[in-house]
Amino acid sequence: MSPHESPHEVALTVIGTPRWSLEPDPRTPPGDPATLLTINDDGVITAFSGKVEYGQGIRNGFAMAIADELDVAVDSVRMILGDTNLVPQDRGTTGSASTRTVGIQLRRAAATARLTLIDLAATRLEVGASSLKTLAGRVVSEDGSHCVEYADLLSGQMLSVNIPDLVEVKAVDEFQLMGRPARRIDAISRVTGGARYAQDVVVPGMLYGKILRPPSYGAKLVQVDTARAEQVSGVVSVVKDGDFVGVVADREDAAEYAVEAIRARWDENRDTVSDWNIPALLKERAEEPTTLREDGDLSSAFFSAARVFENTYYVPYVSNAQMEPSASVAQWDDNHLTVWCAHRGPFAERDNLAAIFGLDTSAVRVITAEIGGSFGTKTPTVSHEAARLAKAVNAPVRVSYDRAEEFGWSTVRPAATFEVKSAVDAGGKIVAWDYTAFHAGENAFRGQRGADTPYDVDNVRIAVAASESPLQSGSYRSLGGATNHFAREVHMDEIAIGLGLDPLEFRLRNLSHARLRACLVAASKTFGWASREKKPGVGFGLAIGYDAGSFTAQCVEVLVENREARVIRVMVGFDCGLVVNPDGARNQIEGSIVMGMGTALWEAVEFDGGRVLNAGFARYRVPRITDTPEIEVVFTGDDDMPSSGAGEPGIVPIAAAIANAVRDATGTAIEELPIVPRL
Amino acid sequence: MHLKVNDESLEVAVDAERTLLSVLRHELGLMGTKYGCGEGNCGACTVLIDGEATRSCITPVTSAGGREITTIEGLANGDELHPVQEAFVEHTAFQCAYCTSGFIMSSAALLDRNPSPSDAQIQSALSGHICRCGAYGRILKAVKSASGEGGAE
Repeated sequence: MSPHESPHEVALTVIGTPRWSLEPDPRTPPGDPATLLTINDDGVITAFSGKVEYGQGIRNGFAMAIADELDVAVDSVRMILGDTNLVPQDRGTTGSASTRTVGIQLRRAAATARLTLIDLAATRLEVGASSLKTLAGRVVSEDGSHCVEYADLLSGQMLSVNIPDLVEVKAVDEFQLMGRPARRIDAISRVTGGARYAQDVVVPGMLYGKILRPPSYGAKLVQVDTARAEQVSGVVSVVKDGDFVGVVADREDAAEYAVEAIRARWDENRDTVSDWNIPALLKERAEEPTTLREDGDLSSAFFSAARVFENTYYVPYVSNAQMEPSASVAQWDDNHLTVWCAHRGPFAERDNLAAIFGLDTSAVRVITAEIGGSFGTKTPTVSHEAARLAKAVNAPVRVSYDRAEEFGWSTVRPAATFEVKSAVDAGGKIVAWDYTAFHAGENAFRGQRGADTPYDVDNVRIAVAASESPLQSGSYRSLGGATNHFAREVHMDEIAIGLGLDPLEFRLRNLSHARLRACLVAASKTFGWASREKKPGVGFGLAIGYDAGSFTAQCVEVLVENREARVIRVMVGFDCGLVVNPDGARNQIEGSIVMGMGTALWEAVEFDGGRVLNAGFARYRVPRITDTPEIEVVFTGDDDMPSSGAGEPGIVPIAAAIANAVRDATGTAIEELPIVPRL
Repeated sequence: MHLKVNDESLEVAVDAERTLLSVLRHELGLMGTKYGCGEGNCGACTVLIDGEATRSCITPVTSAGGREITTIEGLANGDELHPVQEAFVEHTAFQCAYCTSGFIMSSAALLDRNPSPSDAQIQSALSGHICRCGAYGRILKAVKSASGEGGAE
């Protein structure tokens, strides 16, 4: 709902420049000043952000922060998210950055509003502003003699204020809401079926579109016969534009049926790359690696070292497989395009659509619905497809992917091959670390995240190469962070075991990073690492990780039976600085671990050439409730440190921790995912 | 044909081969029941038919004719949430919540026939559901607390 639909008038508007980093970044120009927060004359607060809600609870996190700064109840704050006509420009909801970037700016906006309310009260009451404070939606005097509600102060006002350069936000010990467990403000709609996702958007006169899919990536349409599709009852139009063929019908199942009735001949890509030969091909087909760090003298360090270790690791493509398949509704009004979708970067999507259709960005409006999971993807092409069909039939059209389309045509986490060569001295200190990663996909930067080692080592080279990708690589929870950590942390156990050292002791000997050490100590203590008991089939493993400004360590117990590994418990040390909503952060960390467990034990996209072979949940095994381990999270961060990411870092060490535990149980090293336990 | 949905009797003119899910969402506008996979593998589309948790995406609408269909929209008693819904809120047993309707419907059906299920019975009843956000631990706790077993908590 837009604030303009409210019967109450906006009485106070707070304007600020959107920020994309904690500190003003001289390399990126600031965005245009925009409305960040309004208060109506009835006291209702509305805040605006280009971030989107895909389950991570950002609406709730923002509302809590604003309510805290303004001393109001959390349910008097409404959040408008991801509508490009209403919210400030934003770069998309990525990198676990919302709380640490936009969150702080919204808090500054709320603090500005609070100061304005105090000034209004001071004028009205004819007292000094310093004698007033805010409490439960009112301005009150310190001695309790005056009390006036925000709504009273704002009645009849039409104020607009800018966030001053210096505005003080509350200190941690002043928080009433932040840092405490809380029910999510969107909870009721989520348990009653009321939340509206892109799959649920219906606009008047809307038709349903379905796209003809090639049998494989890179296939070219040679011949097509749509005569039978045109005869299907309910079909409004069959749209043909080069390789793009789609059906528009007045019902979704009519569109599905009609697409099935299209006869097409394709010229498929003859490449023989498949999931069984890609580990080696990733290196063969890679571009020149980009060196991210090069310190010391590797060759002399290897020459004089006591022991040298060298291994190759591999992680396959995995599917995001979020529960809501991609969907988008597109509507044209003359030359204006409105799109309702589940894109996590509504402004990027607006700019993309404007460029495709040759429109000014002001002629495109992208409205983000509730998002049924993302983890980095929602098919990038779905809004474009809906807009093409809508334009062709001159009516609003929704395109909803089915599960097979989602598996086959959404993006996947890049497969990657890693070469790690390390050396240690006689005292078990790492003296050399040579790391090269080959990540599938044209954007090598995707593989850079988490590639560097957090351990102490003087002679080091970290290099990442982009390799040709037979599938459409895209984003995923922490992306390269999760895969790079697998290679590094499994290799750390390789060295520890080779030296006969306890994996915890070996890591602590080589780790001076204080925040990571604190995570590792907390996790291993809660786990009872020192007193773990070796039993047949039981294994223990640990790993550490860093991502999105946060740090974590995880200790895992597995049980291996009948060549299947089961994760029994996971103890987590986690440092994301100030925790705004501990329950929300825990929920994210638990979810990251469950998701990462899937990549460790089962998940891999099977393909042959450009054909995806396991495009359904029956052949793509994901974690289920019967697989769920006991998970305990200990927050080790300092409340005075700024909040850092909580949605992704939990996934980075888990696959390695599980692999290390399976190795502990079976005695056989794990060098690729998904893990196949071998006794 | 005749459908009884959430205590309401309805006449709908639909093709016999359509799925119950398609009719609920597109003809009746009951959007709380979700499409997740269309193959009965993920549980997002679960509704109750005569109290039995049923995958509406693979149920022909004709087979539901004349029987009591309950969707997530019909589970609460007016403003009073069903105990399972209440427990999901209390434990924040969701993130994106796209799968939540299905989990709640199956849990309600379970508690209806077994008011005090063990953890293993709850897990077994919900093993056909996928929550990709991984809120399983919370879902288990929520169902437990809504049951006779957990009522004292």
